[in-house]
Amino acid sequence: MKIILTPDWFTQFDVSIEIFSFIILALFFAFSLKSYRLNKNKKCLYLGIAFLLIAIGELATILTKFILFYDTTFTQNIGRMIVTYNITQSVDIFYKTGFFLHKLFTLAGLYILYKFPMKKLSSGDVLLAFFFLIISALAGQQIFHIFHIAVIILLVLIINNFYITYQKSRLENTKILIISLSILTLSHIMFMLSLKGIMYALAQIMQLVSYVILLIIIIKILKNEKNIFKYYRRK
Amino acid sequence: MKKISSNTIEENESAGKKRTRIEVISDILRVILEKKGSIKPTHLMYKANLSHKSLNLYTSQLIKSQLIIKTQNQKDNKNMFEITPKGMAFYKQYSQVREFEKTFGL
Repeated sequence: MKIILTPDWFTQFDVSIEIFSFIILALFFAFSLKSYRLNKNKKCLYLGIAFLLIAIGELATILTKFILFYDTTFTQNIGRMIVTYNITQSVDIFYKTGFFLHKLFTLAGLYILYKFPMKKLSSGDVLLAFFFLIISALAGQQIFHIFHIAVIILLVLIINNFYITYQKSRLENTKILIISLSILTLSHIMFMLSLKGIMYALAQIMQLVSYVILLIIIIKILKNEKNIFKYYRRK
Repeated sequence: MKKISSNTIEENESAGKKRTRIEVISDILRVILEKKGSIKPTHLMYKANLSHKSLNLYTSQLIKSQLIIKTQNQKDNKNMFEITPKGMAFYKQYSQVREFEKTFGL
């Protein structure tokens, strides 16, 4: 059974794109944490946890793919051991666990990202939601469409929340965030259709574009300094 | 002219909310920066929308944390509040965080 859909010529880019995504998510986590430390707003903490979970999900897939693509000793050993059925099973478990953790953490992070603006969270709802997230992640191991459908649903709900925010604030950064998440949603639609390697590569490139757009938000926030000190520099 | 970000006075007035401690501190620092780094206490009180009591309370806290210093104007010998490099760094950090929060509707 083919574990991943990455075409051979795309393996290097594949891992690089995921490392880049991980860095961006870690930056968003750092900003959320900094924000929570300054004003003790719990919503900032939830936002940070959401980014952290998605980042851990990315890290799980990076490590699994890294061993799969680059660790030749590990893969050679697999080749030597493959004759034994039981060992083959354990090797399968390693990859399956890696990709399962990626799915579970991504879904959990997206769920928190969807839920964090809500005023009150009922523990029953959260428990029920996490049960369905685990089911989706487990089912996504066999039928990968299920994972992508769950991600798309969550992303659409998140975009809707941010669109409501944008209608109130008309902030450019929120608009950029919506654009980025929309591209990410499109990339997951493409992942669903990626029966051929080229489609998978295109979906990964779209994911890269969405994370580059997220990076623009960080750059814009950091460059805000110019605006702040324009009064002071006139001195 | 476009106002600088993190003006919590206007934000909270329109939302009918009371400013938090950190928001008042950021407003004080912003007002001092808008006045090119130093300001008279009465101007600060008026521009940061503070009572006399709150002004004394917050400025003493800010002086203690070395975010501002109390100086004297060379021309008229009157008291002035001046922002320190530490105060500028704090305001820069706070403004970035505020901008980040606003992006997510917080």
